[in-house]
Amino acid sequence: MSPVSAADVLIAACGPAAIRVSGCSGDREQDWRVVHHLARSLARRGGLGLTGSIPTYESVLIEFDPMLVSATAVAERIRESLDAITPDEALSSAPQTFTIPVLYGGEMGPDLDDVARLIGLEAEDVIRVHQESNYTVRCLGAPGGSPMLDGPFPVPVPRLSSPRASVPAGVVSVAGRQATVAPASAPGGWSVIGRTPLTLLDLTREPLVPYAPGDRIRFTRINEETFDALSGERLQADGATK
Amino acid sequence: MTGGLRVDGAGVAVVTDLGRSRGPAVGLPVNGALDQYSARVANILVANSEGDPIIEVTAFDFAFTAESDLLIAVTGAPMTLLVDGIERSMWEPVSVGAGQQIALYEMAAGLRTYVAVHSSFDVPVLLDSCAPDTVAGFGVILTAGTNLAVREVGPSIVNPYFDMSLFNLDVMIPYVGGEAVIDVTDGPDADQFEGTRSRLFHAPYVVTAKSNHIGLRMTGQLPVRTSTDEVVSRGVPVGAVEVPPGDELLVLHRGRGVTAGYPVLAVVTPLALDALGQVRPGQHIRFRHTTVERADENVRAWRAHLDRLRQRINTIYACLGIQSLVEPGQLGSVDNRSEPTLEGIT
Repeated sequence: MSPVSAADVLIAACGPAAIRVSGCSGDREQDWRVVHHLARSLARRGGLGLTGSIPTYESVLIEFDPMLVSATAVAERIRESLDAITPDEALSSAPQTFTIPVLYGGEMGPDLDDVARLIGLEAEDVIRVHQESNYTVRCLGAPGGSPMLDGPFPVPVPRLSSPRASVPAGVVSVAGRQATVAPASAPGGWSVIGRTPLTLLDLTREPLVPYAPGDRIRFTRINEETFDALSGERLQADGATK
Repeated sequence: MTGGLRVDGAGVAVVTDLGRSRGPAVGLPVNGALDQYSARVANILVANSEGDPIIEVTAFDFAFTAESDLLIAVTGAPMTLLVDGIERSMWEPVSVGAGQQIALYEMAAGLRTYVAVHSSFDVPVLLDSCAPDTVAGFGVILTAGTNLAVREVGPSIVNPYFDMSLFNLDVMIPYVGGEAVIDVTDGPDADQFEGTRSRLFHAPYVVTAKSNHIGLRMTGQLPVRTSTDEVVSRGVPVGAVEVPPGDELLVLHRGRGVTAGYPVLAVVTPLALDALGQVRPGQHIRFRHTTVERADENVRAWRAHLDRLRQRINTIYACLGIQSLVEPGQLGSVDNRSEPTLEGIT
């Protein structure tokens, strides 16, 4: 088990209050694990002036308060943390799985037919592929801690030429080679193929969203009756006691 | 005894603080006061901690009634401050009595004015911050009739000396209005704009009406990206200068979504972000290149100025015999103090 090689990461200033660390090992999975391990290691060690980290796919943005700590000192802490990381180690020894019920198409998924046409599938096949895939939560993104997922289609789905000013919470969408479900209402340029009746974001709890990078997500098709019956319930990990 | 204030009229006004630093790690923007310097000064002037909740007034008039004796301070964009019809100064402590009406009107320049009240407000917090988050649907938005309770009502702070400006506090008052000069450092992806990146510094940009706390959109000569690789979503800093498809430059501010897929051409310095927080649609701004080292020096000078202001305020309150206003341990930690300059603040 070797630590992260200096050649496998790029450390770049990102203005006076942030540093970007990018993985460039050539192995996407390894880069993803390294940047998330780094974010967790820095959070665990704490230290004056570090305000937080935003780990995503192959990079992590590390933010600090330049009134309290210099960029040089932060870079030094980053190198120390990298030396203690095992790149092969899984992000979580016991990842949780979340099953998200989705009402596909129609009013809830206005772009389903367009997505089908753009990638050369029937709408039913789009739904089948979307719900047969197993997804790993790569990172939490906007809006409101969305689980950013890979896939599931073999060809990228173009973004909407004219983004919507507002899409509601619960929307299940795809773009490029990514998929997600939105915990909060926000403007959106992704194609909407369905919606979940479950609530993902709970401002009265910590963590605010129940999943973390490394957890698994799968989607399951439901009908309108089930949608109404489940409306407003909170998303919980499979096997969690209600 | 309870105390606080009642809002009589508000256009766009919220209770905020220096931001939700725990937010970005879980996908929430940092948010918080868009002019952090003015927000910190207002809190220092009323002997609060710099990160205490504070009122941010955007663009429109604001009025409230004191429901108990209050010590307030108003900073940020210049407005006329009236207490029961009598004009008082911004950028210094103002003592108001229970029942008095406070009116802020006619913002002459800039965009955001801050009102701090001693002992601050008892408001809900999310991840340790009261800063509104429009996406998560969190925060205290002030409208006519809103009651804001102060955390504690201390000894009466009505003091005849406060009716006159007896003290030269020597607060640096940032200049707002006119053509704002915005310092930027090279972004991590500046090389993707090879050949045209210097356009950023050639001519002024005009801020458009589509600007808000998430980001400012500007028209002007746009640098052109040379690579067409798709950038996978990644963390973007507050202050990131991006060139999205279309005909506008985008500068992200504190309400920015924490991840995005555009290359970062340049990054606005912390002090210049405060200046951008005061820029109105239609105003011209000019970018100026700086280095991280130079930006750090300016931040340290700014910190030293705030620390000295805190010391002067403590001395004044001690002289007035209201030592109870002064809490210990509120000095920021700075190891490298230098003379404050107006550079970067203007």
